[in-house]
Amino acid sequence: MENSEIGKYTVSFGLSFAITSVVSALLVILKESNEEGVLAWMKALTGHHWVTHGLIDLILFVVLGWALSKVSSGQGVKMSVNGLVSCIVGAVVISVVLIDGFYLLH
Amino acid sequence: MDNNVILLIHPALGGIATLAALWVFVDTLNVSEASLSRIKNVSILCAVLIWLTYIIGGYWYVVHYAPEKAIIKGGPWPFAHDFFMETKEHVFLMLLLLATYLPIAASGNLATSKAARKVVLWVAGLIVPVSLSMESSGAILSIAVKIGLLFKQAQGG
Repeated sequence: MENSEIGKYTVSFGLSFAITSVVSALLVILKESNEEGVLAWMKALTGHHWVTHGLIDLILFVVLGWALSKVSSGQGVKMSVNGLVSCIVGAVVISVVLIDGFYLLH
Repeated sequence: MDNNVILLIHPALGGIATLAALWVFVDTLNVSEASLSRIKNVSILCAVLIWLTYIIGGYWYVVHYAPEKAIIKGGPWPFAHDFFMETKEHVFLMLLLLATYLPIAASGNLATSKAARKVVLWVAGLIVPVSLSMESSGAILSIAVKIGLLFKQAQGG
């Protein structure tokens, strides 16, 4: 029998992916526009800015996904499947446009 | 290990991961109780392969890319680094998260939940073109190195 249920981790980590993806794209613009500040700090942290960038993304994805699954007394964020898919697809499109657009104009 | 072998393993794993994502997409379109565990296993395989692609490619990028970057930047195709490498290294981080999310999305009962199927179809469906764009960028970078070396040779370098 069909149902319209999606698991709380599917929603929480889907939203976490969407948020982390856009934050990551914005971090690209921030670090490349601020070489002596943000980029230098990211290089100093692990030896390479890209390694630090990856770590920030992974930590944010896991922490946000876990935190969003704990809201509403542990039931997680409630959202329609169309809303979730829109967030995921929208985040991919926005992230690619931000990153590609920045390097096209940079 | 020979750096060139690393450069072969990186896109090969990425290519197999793309096929795994395509497998999940097609299998989900025709899902039944019998195919549930296979879809879950292939979605995990896809995530593992993207992680291996990330680790191996990342190692090469951080440790060995600098000389090739200099060849590309000094050759006729500097845009290969300035645009394709820069976008590849950052869009890949999004792909890594998307592939990590795929097994989470596929963990529900896809046979009975239309909503769960919809999420998996979109996620697997997004992984395929993004992965292919990574492969294409890598091919452009390889050609840019070749052109850069030929240019250097023609200049008497």
